[in-house]
Amino acid sequence: MKILTILALLVPILSGIALLIARPQNRTKRNHYVMLTVCVSAVFVLGTALASALNGPEAAYLHVADLSDKLVIAFRPDGVSLVFGCIIGVLWPVTTVYAFSYMEHESRENMFFGFFLITFGVVAGIAYSANFFTLYLCYEFMTLVTLPLVMHEMDGKARAAGKKYVLYSMTGAALVFICLMYFLRYADTLAFTYGGILNMDKVKGHEKELMTVFVLGFFGFGVKAAIFPFHRWLPAASVAPTPVTALLHAVAVVKSGAFAVMRLVYFGFGCEFLRGTWAQYVVLAASAFTVMFGSAMSLRMPHLKRRLAYSTVSNLSYILVAFASMSPVGLAGGLLHMVFHAVIKISLFFCAGAMLHHNKLEYVYDMEGLSKKMPVTCGVFLIASLALMGVPPLGGFLSKWTIGTAAAGNMHWAGYLGAASLIVSAILTTLYMLSAAVRFYFPLKDAPAQPEHIHEADRLMTGPLVFLMVLLLALSLCSAPLSAWIGGLV
Amino acid sequence: MLILMVFLPMIAALVCYPICRNSERAWFTPAIVISGAVFVMGLFLVLEPELADGIDFFCGKGIYFKAGGLRTVMATLAAFMWVMTALASPEYFSGARANGRYFLFYLWTLGALEGVFLAADLMTLFVFFEIMSFTSYVWVVQNETPEAIRASETYLFIAVIGGLTMLMGLFLLDNAISKLVLEEIELGSGLPYYSTLRFEDIVRYAPELSPRLRYTVGVCALVGFGAKAGMFPLHIWLPKAHPVAPAPASALLSGILTKSGVFGIIGISCWLFDGVPGWGNLLLIPAVITMFLGAVLAVFSVDLKRTLACSSMSQIGFILTGVSMCVLLGEHGSIAACGAVLHILNHSLIKLTLFVAAGVVYFNVHSLNLNDVRGFGKDKPLLKLAFLSGACSIAGIPGFGGYISKTLLHEGIVEYCEHLTEHGLSAAPFKAVEWIFLLSGGLTLAYMTRLFYIIFVAEKPEHQHQKTPYMSPMTGAVLAIGGLLMPLLGLTAHLTMDKIAAYALPFFRREPMAHAVNYFSLGNLKGAVISITIGVLVFLFVGMKWLTRKKDGVDTYRNVWPKGLDLEDAVYRPALRGLSFVGGMAARLVESVGALLIYGTVDLLFLGAKDKVVPPEDEQFSAYSKQSERSRVERSFSADLLYAACGVLALMALAAWNMLR
Repeated sequence: MKILTILALLVPILSGIALLIARPQNRTKRNHYVMLTVCVSAVFVLGTALASALNGPEAAYLHVADLSDKLVIAFRPDGVSLVFGCIIGVLWPVTTVYAFSYMEHESRENMFFGFFLITFGVVAGIAYSANFFTLYLCYEFMTLVTLPLVMHEMDGKARAAGKKYVLYSMTGAALVFICLMYFLRYADTLAFTYGGILNMDKVKGHEKELMTVFVLGFFGFGVKAAIFPFHRWLPAASVAPTPVTALLHAVAVVKSGAFAVMRLVYFGFGCEFLRGTWAQYVVLAASAFTVMFGSAMSLRMPHLKRRLAYSTVSNLSYILVAFASMSPVGLAGGLLHMVFHAVIKISLFFCAGAMLHHNKLEYVYDMEGLSKKMPVTCGVFLIASLALMGVPPLGGFLSKWTIGTAAAGNMHWAGYLGAASLIVSAILTTLYMLSAAVRFYFPLKDAPAQPEHIHEADRLMTGPLVFLMVLLLALSLCSAPLSAWIGGLV
Repeated sequence: MLILMVFLPMIAALVCYPICRNSERAWFTPAIVISGAVFVMGLFLVLEPELADGIDFFCGKGIYFKAGGLRTVMATLAAFMWVMTALASPEYFSGARANGRYFLFYLWTLGALEGVFLAADLMTLFVFFEIMSFTSYVWVVQNETPEAIRASETYLFIAVIGGLTMLMGLFLLDNAISKLVLEEIELGSGLPYYSTLRFEDIVRYAPELSPRLRYTVGVCALVGFGAKAGMFPLHIWLPKAHPVAPAPASALLSGILTKSGVFGIIGISCWLFDGVPGWGNLLLIPAVITMFLGAVLAVFSVDLKRTLACSSMSQIGFILTGVSMCVLLGEHGSIAACGAVLHILNHSLIKLTLFVAAGVVYFNVHSLNLNDVRGFGKDKPLLKLAFLSGACSIAGIPGFGGYISKTLLHEGIVEYCEHLTEHGLSAAPFKAVEWIFLLSGGLTLAYMTRLFYIIFVAEKPEHQHQKTPYMSPMTGAVLAIGGLLMPLLGLTAHLTMDKIAAYALPFFRREPMAHAVNYFSLGNLKGAVISITIGVLVFLFVGMKWLTRKKDGVDTYRNVWPKGLDLEDAVYRPALRGLSFVGGMAARLVESVGALLIYGTVDLLFLGAKDKVVPPEDEQFSAYSKQSERSRVERSFSADLLYAACGVLALMALAAWNMLR
């Protein structure tokens, strides 16, 4: 089974590098190559998950190298990794199909698909890493390989966004690094252990120091999850091509941040050490604040992609609220929201991309009455909006419910603040999503009719959209097995 | 069967949609057949009061249904309303556009509503309640006029706010009950326990909850359900949304959809607050205001459907007054509970008849303004009789269904007054409630008489549009059935209405009434007489004198309600706009503070640098220049990165060397 883990990491990275070196000029051939390798990698990523689910994480354990007795590079897909692994394993091929159509009119496709492939392997590495050191390495590596994707257009805006991205990520990495140093000193091992790795004998007398370090680490990993005040890179990065915004800035990169936060809370410091301390309240309050802040900002954005980006800021903090609740319910809620938000937000971005790419529509007020011209895209957008708002029985409701219960379960002002922020943000979500989606169907009377040349997106775009919608509906309507599975992992 | 009742309309609508989508008429048969099937299933439910059902993989925790009591009554009534409006629809919707969309959501709403009424727990109820809010939104916006779009937005927003407030309440309740359940069964395995908030669990654990929590939950749920019921101060959507919807949809919105909110309030009041008089007092305040305000608004309205919508609001107030009396009276609350159930039933049938009649008027005249529709019904006996029957029933004229339920509600208040006096407490506030009750009843009579007078007695204007025949036989049949049912129920009260009320009572957790009420006793007739007297006086002096002006020898009906006196335009919309402005400002302010922190740090790092930045727009990554190209490269950020990488490599080499040794 080890071979699966190796292949899951190496195939995408090596084939991406090969693409960068070979630079094929024939589009059809390259697309076939990319599709093939992405599918093969996805099979390996999902296969690793399956193998670990069937035979236990030890079966897929991959030991790469020892730098010292604590600094070990190793991969071990455990329960929570599977959730993340499955998300990226399913969504990467879908995005690839979408990207073929989208990237036709953008230049430098080789560069794009090369780094796109490499990122797949690196994110799989984050999902499957066995200890904080490996996680940190993959995490840093991810910043570097996604930079060319963010700066893809290479105009002034894109470059500025890329620089912002690097600056913020480096800040986060620095904070995390402090955390790592403290782990080296106060823990016996860096390998993820549910319940925490701190050696309480060594910790005695240094609790305050370690809590401060935890807060630093939380915000450090939180940079990628766009927690306030480290969120600004995310809306700026929406200048990237839509497949990148959709997959990386709604799913892979940002979810890596949330995932790493989860590792830090549950598998690093441990809930018992943190529960009920000021450190928990600080991070809980910060996440709850970001939830409301992101939604409020989103409401002010007439640019659809930027509106969605701020919505991502808000929704990632839902996940952080769940993890900061530091209870098993919170862990389950956060993982559930990772799954649902991934599917929902990627659909929304794909819709926005279809409107932008085919019809050059960027602003919400230009899109009134669009449903007549783009029925599939608008239909998917509407359903995904409802799911994002948390209208039962669609997926978002279940995850938000679980997060809300977890937050309220803290029985503390910060916990109630978390639950209340969910409600406030849900109202704002309704406003910012429906003020776009409803206008597709019921334009205001004084809005100009959509001009003739506006047309529906092509099959390569609507196909993934419909697939994602079916996936979302299936996950939503039969969500009890999913939530039971995730609840059982915890 | 319960699952089928909920999902048959939803799935069948999806199946029919592609077939009937673009056709104007193809929808009517499936709509009638499907709602008819649900109605038949509802009738069978009456025989099986203990039926329970559920799907446990659906929506996280599963959804569970239960029949019996008020649930069956409401579910059957809803299906009946659907069949009736479906019968009246072919005429109303001929020549309309987007019928496919309307009927898709028409059937979905039926399924959702059945889900609300048959729910065995609050979670299921909430799920279907939300679905219903969104599907019925499409009814309101169906005509796509600017008023419809505005009204539908108000409707949606109030529904969403209400739903989310209720959700907050459910969080708290779920949290508290889960803890209690966990303590009891000592799971303790750390597995997340999902309660579904079954009504039985709620009533069992409610006494153990702290009063603060209980009231918080109750108020949150009241906001959610009250928003749908049209309770003050969340009623603002109702007088706007009901008139702009197509008439059959208005009949459903007014007649039965508002009852889903009432149903929820009954659930909360009788299961979470069983035997808590404080809750009864709390509920009574908005209930009485709704009752009175709705009647006053209806008197001043100059739009046929708006009058009926305001009237609905007022009648909901009557029902809620009954519910709060039921809570206040504790175990003696049967009489008020019976009144509430029967008024729900009566009001649904009344509004069905009246709105279908209004639809006939609109379909002919193409206006709802009282000045345009006057005299329309002069020579139309069926329309006249049906409308008269509805009007008499809603005004509480003895012999009609409405009289029976209003008498019971009135009895409830009187009984509580007596109860208070017996215990040596002052009954004055409740005497006042009684008088407001009678006054509102009088106003009901006044505005209904006025409508009747204008449509059926006043002079016709010269050019009134009318098609021949003025309505189809099917619509006529609906009006006839609706019109006949009310005197029928009213005259056979002991045989029909008492039985229905007794059947519904278990949901109120009350025993059936000990002895039958003599509806035509002097004491009970007295209340009706007072109301009728007030009504006649108001009709003569306010309706005919103040609100009517002679203009060129013709009566015109004035709108004297001041424009500024509109809660939505005067308070809610400005408040919302203000809030969104303040919120946006705050968010931006906070964001700039965050940015200041980050960029301030960067600036601090570069504080000592005196040279110029090249290029000037790249503050973070550019070099400090006016020097040679080489040194510019050397001092750039990428060069720093390069150095750092070299350093790391060197360190790693050293480490490797050490390990090898």
